[in-house]
Amino acid sequence: MTAYAMGIDFGSTTAKVVILDESGEMAASAISQKGAVSDEGVRMALADALQQAGIEQSAIRKVVSTGYGRRMLDIADRSITEITCHARGAVALVPQARVVLDIGGQDSKVIAIDANGLVARYAMNDRCAAGTGKFLEVLARAVNIELERMGSVALEATETVGITSMCATFAETEVISLLAEGHSRPVVLAAVHQAIANRTVGLVGRVGKRDPMVMTGGVSHNIAAVHYLEKALATSLIVPPGAQTAGALGAALFALDDLRAEAAEPGKRIADEDDGVLAEPLECKPACEKKGLFAKLFRS
Amino acid sequence: MSAVTEKEPVVKKANRLQVTKLNNKMVNQYWEDLFHAKEQGKLVCWTEGIQINPILQAADIAWCHGEAAAALMAARKESAVPQAHMETLGYDRELCSYARTHIGCGILNQSSTVEAQTLLDVDGRTLGSKIPPPDMIISAYPFCSTGQQWDNEVYRTYGKKVPIFNMSLSWTWGNKPSAKYMSGPEYRENVAFLKKQLQDCIRFIEGITGKPYDWDRLTEIMTYTKKAAELRLEAMQLCKARPSPASFFEWTNSIAPVNFLPGGPEIVDYFAQKKAEIEARIAQGVGSVPVEKYRLWWDGIMNWNKIGWLSDKFAGYDACMVAGRYTHMGFWQEPQVIDVRDPLDGMAQNYLTCPISISAPQVIEKIIEHCEFYEIDGLILHAARTCRAFSYPQFMIADAVGKRLGLPVAMFEGDMVDETFYKDEIVNSRVEAMLEAIDASRARMR
Repeated sequence: MTAYAMGIDFGSTTAKVVILDESGEMAASAISQKGAVSDEGVRMALADALQQAGIEQSAIRKVVSTGYGRRMLDIADRSITEITCHARGAVALVPQARVVLDIGGQDSKVIAIDANGLVARYAMNDRCAAGTGKFLEVLARAVNIELERMGSVALEATETVGITSMCATFAETEVISLLAEGHSRPVVLAAVHQAIANRTVGLVGRVGKRDPMVMTGGVSHNIAAVHYLEKALATSLIVPPGAQTAGALGAALFALDDLRAEAAEPGKRIADEDDGVLAEPLECKPACEKKGLFAKLFRS
Repeated sequence: MSAVTEKEPVVKKANRLQVTKLNNKMVNQYWEDLFHAKEQGKLVCWTEGIQINPILQAADIAWCHGEAAAALMAARKESAVPQAHMETLGYDRELCSYARTHIGCGILNQSSTVEAQTLLDVDGRTLGSKIPPPDMIISAYPFCSTGQQWDNEVYRTYGKKVPIFNMSLSWTWGNKPSAKYMSGPEYRENVAFLKKQLQDCIRFIEGITGKPYDWDRLTEIMTYTKKAAELRLEAMQLCKARPSPASFFEWTNSIAPVNFLPGGPEIVDYFAQKKAEIEARIAQGVGSVPVEKYRLWWDGIMNWNKIGWLSDKFAGYDACMVAGRYTHMGFWQEPQVIDVRDPLDGMAQNYLTCPISISAPQVIEKIIEHCEFYEIDGLILHAARTCRAFSYPQFMIADAVGKRLGLPVAMFEGDMVDETFYKDEIVNSRVEAMLEAIDASRARMR
């Protein structure tokens, strides 16, 4: 029976799950958006991933969690931060990457990668959620546009105006003022994306600008965000397929490492080919029934 | 079979020094003495900034150090009431939380309304309600304009009737050949300027007390202070040992004896005991944390309401916060220059080399020295939201120290008193990412 490794990125706005088989091939990649560290969201992403892979949960032998909710997952063998996981995932997608730019729901990260593909330095938004996906989400609401459409509409802008506030609440006030002054929605949305780009440039400066730069995280799907970032950074950004699940992929790769390390240890098996039972069965102790999200999940 | 695993959390706690209890006892005694100072016929001075308490002690004047009062109120969870009251008076929460707490106590104490007294004196036991009003104010803040405004507000709070003395502490530029760390003509000019002000301050005190100043008493007090400071530095340097026998958090807990407690045999004895306990730990191989996998540097003022909690938190990460800018670069940090027979020059030198009185290049060089000496693996930068004087060079520190020594850096925001600025999950993500970066770096070396 094939053994699988799973990475779960339990993020602030979405849950992402990646499953790899023991050869490292991707068996599934799923995303669910159900709100902040949502129980339902992670259930859905997981169920979707298992269905995609066509496996039962018992085939998953190692799990690594990341994201804001990483410690909430009892199923995880260990948790690793988004920085390390996004770096690992991005390098797997784009091996030559030297800087990873991840704009997620609650934080922005710029990670410098060394020649060995490991984290050399990183910078995060230190003071608040300014310049993050949440900033876009709040302002999409103010402009009354779906989050998915705001990027394409912003690129229709024919003039430039500025938003100075990086606090989402104050920026919302500015957006309302700009609309009240008669500026079109594309123009206002372009200003919103420029504000995010300007904020991110500062973070890039702190780790050092180097090419190639890879963008991961949910905001990488926003074409206006990518456009204005490229303009502000005066470089091209690589947005690989699977950019949004790069963190979950990184986590899955760490889980795969664990799976292989366990297999390499004398006297241990990854899996029993006959019955699929682990060499060291992972039994659920009674205490976990009351605390773990996954305790409920895997019984349902 | 289930894929669910139950992971019992391993609770690791910091291994606290026993001698800290003595520190707490001395601190409590100091405040009790201050609360009853007026009953004993003593004048009370409110002062902020540098440690001028030996000068006051020699004149038999009791003193309330504003930051110390605010820090203790934070540690006792008593600072929220004066802070909230200050906000209703229009003092923005971005302003120095030490000042908001301290002035808030003064304003509430000055108010005779039942509401104000009820607000401040929860169960009649809060520290803020017991601080005696000032008979004089001495403002002596290095590189912090809020410090002067803070004292000015105290002056206004007490009806502009309390005599006030303002001291000006010169900034030492690190990029001028004439003003190197503790050397150069400009540095000497700065020391002379401050020494002159200390002499003027003593004349100000004589004018209020109506008595000639007791210089012999100052010599005696500074003899104890100098000895205590020397023992403290010796004990700190012993923490180069692996595992480190004491942490930054233990040194934070020992600020009072070198910041605002009276100079006497008690503070010398305290640091002698602390040094002995540290030596005993080294002999037994006992560390400040149960497992020392990482040795870290703390840059920034302490989060006074979270000392114990943070020390346990880092112990849980197998990380020892070995040293920090706040504790290791201030508070009689250069005792060797103090000539106890003529102490003002040496006192001025210590005041002028505290980490918010010297420029970023000098701060960075000193931090690098410490990081190399203590064999630090990474830097934690706690940016106190309402203390710009301390947090202004932190991006430069992160950049310069991180790059020069190849160390990872984690920065998070908090505050020294106002705990509303602290967000635990933000801290977790940043600290854990830094520790993972250290692991990655070690993996590269293998």
